Amino acid sequence: MKKITGLLASTAVALALTGGVASAEIKIGVLVPDSGPAGLFGPSTRNAAMLAAQQINAQGGINGEEIELIFADVGVPPAEASQAALRLWKGDGVAAFVGMHDSAVREALLGRFNGQVPYVYTPVYEGKSCASGLYVTGETPSQQLAPVIPYLMEAENVSKWYLIGHDYNWPRDTNALAKEYIAEAGGEVVGEEYVPFTVAEFDSSLQRIRESGADAVLITLVGGGSVGFNVSFAGFGLDDQAIRLGTLIEENTLAGIGADNAGRLFSSSGYFSSIQTEAAATFASDYTAAFGADAPPLNGLGQSAYEGLMLLAALAEEAGSLDVAAMDAAAEGLTWRTPRGDNTMIGRHMAQTIYLADGTGGAFEIVTSFDAVPSSEACDG
Amino acid sequence: MSLVLILNLIWQISTLALVALGLAIVFGKLRIMNMAHGEFVMIGAYAPVITASLGLPGWLQLPVCILTVALVAFVLERSVIRHLYGRMFDSLLATWGIAILLREGVELIFGRGYQSVSPPIAGTVTILGADYPAYRIAVIAGIAVGFAVLAWWNRRSKVATRIKAMVGNPELAQAVGINTARLSAGAFVFGCCTAGLAGLVLAPTIRIEPMMGLDYLIRAFFALVVGGLGSLEGLAIGAGIIAGTQSLLGALASQTYGYLAVLTLSILFLWLKPDGIRPSSR
Repeated sequence: MKKITGLLASTAVALALTGGVASAEIKIGVLVPDSGPAGLFGPSTRNAAMLAAQQINAQGGINGEEIELIFADVGVPPAEASQAALRLWKGDGVAAFVGMHDSAVREALLGRFNGQVPYVYTPVYEGKSCASGLYVTGETPSQQLAPVIPYLMEAENVSKWYLIGHDYNWPRDTNALAKEYIAEAGGEVVGEEYVPFTVAEFDSSLQRIRESGADAVLITLVGGGSVGFNVSFAGFGLDDQAIRLGTLIEENTLAGIGADNAGRLFSSSGYFSSIQTEAAATFASDYTAAFGADAPPLNGLGQSAYEGLMLLAALAEEAGSLDVAAMDAAAEGLTWRTPRGDNTMIGRHMAQTIYLADGTGGAFEIVTSFDAVPSSEACDG
Repeated sequence: MSLVLILNLIWQISTLALVALGLAIVFGKLRIMNMAHGEFVMIGAYAPVITASLGLPGWLQLPVCILTVALVAFVLERSVIRHLYGRMFDSLLATWGIAILLREGVELIFGRGYQSVSPPIAGTVTILGADYPAYRIAVIAGIAVGFAVLAWWNRRSKVATRIKAMVGNPELAQAVGINTARLSAGAFVFGCCTAGLAGLVLAPTIRIEPMMGLDYLIRAFFALVVGGLGSLEGLAIGAGIIAGTQSLLGALASQTYGYLAVLTLSILFLWLKPDGIRPSSR
C-alpha cells in the first residue's frame, strides 16, 4: 500500500513538472477526422496542421510563445466528438481549437464552448454559423458559386442547369443560392434532385439528366457518391452533353473518378494542389520536404487545417491574446497572406481567392481565379 | 417505359444476381452466413489496381483476380471457416471479424483513397435509338451466358446433393465416400471467386475503396431473403425483385422511394415469409 501511494505521489510530481514545463507553451487543440466517412482526410489534415505549427514556431510563435498541437479524432458522432474536445480543453489545458469536421460536430462543439474559447472552423461548409468565438476559413456556397457560375455560362456557353446532391442541408443551401446566380446570369434550372446517402447507383438520375436536355450539372454529392455518379455519368457519354461543376470535388475524389471519366469536369475551391502562385508552390514544396514524396496528397480539405492555424496566429497577434472578446474585436478587416492568396476577415468568415479548375485528363488545371471573394453567408458585424 | 430504363433494369438485375451468387452458395448451401462476402467483391475490384501497380498487361486482370480471391478464400476456409459449418451464428461473428481484417489489409496495401479502373470497352453503342454504354452490354451478355452454363452444369452434377449431405451430416457423408474437406473448401472458394469476379466486372463502373464491400453484402442479402436460398431460380427471382424495385421506383418516383421500398419488402419477407419465394428443400 505504501509503495502504491509512493508511486502515486511521484506520478503526481512528474505530472506537475511536465505541466509546469508545458505551460510555457500555448496548446492548441486540432480536431481531425481520423475515423468515419471523412477519415480519408485525416492524414493530410494532420500533416497540414503540423506544417503550420512548425512555421508559426519558426517565426516566434503566437505573441512570443511557442505553440504545441494536441490532436483529437472527431470522425465520431457529435456527442463523442464534443467529449473529446472537452477533455483537451479542461484536461489538457488547450487554449484554442482548430477543427476540420462536419457541421453536426461543429454545432455540438459550439454548445460546449459557449464562446469561452476561440475556435477556427476550416472545411467547406454551408455558411451562417455565427456563435461568439467562432472564426471560419472554409469556403461557403456563395464564394464558390457567385463568380464561377456566370463565368462558366459565358466561357462554356451553357445555360440549362441540372442540380444534383445528397439529401442534407449543405447541398440544399448550395442549390438555393445557385438558382439565384443562374437566374441572374440568364440561365434556367431544368432539374433538381436529392439522393439518399445509401444509394450507390445513379442510373435513373442520369437518365433524367439526359432527358432534361441539361448542358451543365451542378454536383453537391459528397465522397463515394460523387465518385460513383461521375464514373457512370461519363460511362453513359453524358460528358458530351453537359459540363459538370462540383463544389467538393477535390484531388482524392478526382482520382477515384479517373482520367477516363473526368472530361469537362470543373471544380470550384479555395485550394488545389496545382495552384501555381509562388505562395502555393512554396507551401507544396515545404509539405513534400517535411513529409516525403509519398505523403498523403494535398487537397482543399486537408490544407484547410493549415489555413485555420494561420488565421488563429494572425488573429491572436492582432488581438494580443487568445481572449475571445479581444479576438472578436480584432477580427473584422484583419488581412493576412497564406498559400490560398490574400485573405480578409469579413463577418468572421474568410474572404479569399476562389480557383476554378478543370479536371479533364484526371488532374486539376487551374482555369481562372477570382480574388478577394467575400461570403454572403458571413456574420453581421 | 423507355428502352434505357429497361436496359438499366436488366443491368441492375444481372449484376445483383452475379454479386449474390456467391452468397447463395456459401450461405444457402454451406450454411455460413458470410459477412465478408462484400469484401471478396472488393478484392476482385482491386485486381485491376494490382495489375496496374505491378505493371502487368490488362489481360492478366482475370487470372490475378481469381488467384488472389481464391488464395484468400482458401486460407480462410482452412484456418477458420471449416470449424464453423452448421454453426450459423458463430460463422456470422467470425466472418464479420474477417471482413474487418480484409478491409484493413487492403487499406494497408493500397491506402484509404479511391482507385479508378478504365473499362476495357469504352464509349456507348446505339441500340434501337438509345445510347447505352458498350461495356455494360458486354457484361450483361457475359452474365447471361455464365448463368446458362451454371444452370446446365447444376442440373447434371451431383455436387449440390453432396454438399447438402455434407452439411446435414458430415460423418455419414464421409462414410459414403465424400471427401468433405475438399468439397467444403471447393464450394467456399468457388462462392468467393464468383464474388471476386463480380467485383472485377463492376470495377470500371463503380467507386473503388476499401469500404465498398458493405453495399454489395446488404443488397445480396436482401435478394436472398426475398428469393429464398433453394435454387438458382430463387436467386434470379430475388435479384429481379430487389434490383427491379429500386430501379423502377428510382426512375419513376425518386431514389429515396426506391430504397424505402426495398427495405420495406425485405422486412415484410423476413417477417411473413422468412424462407423466401423459393425456399430451400431442407
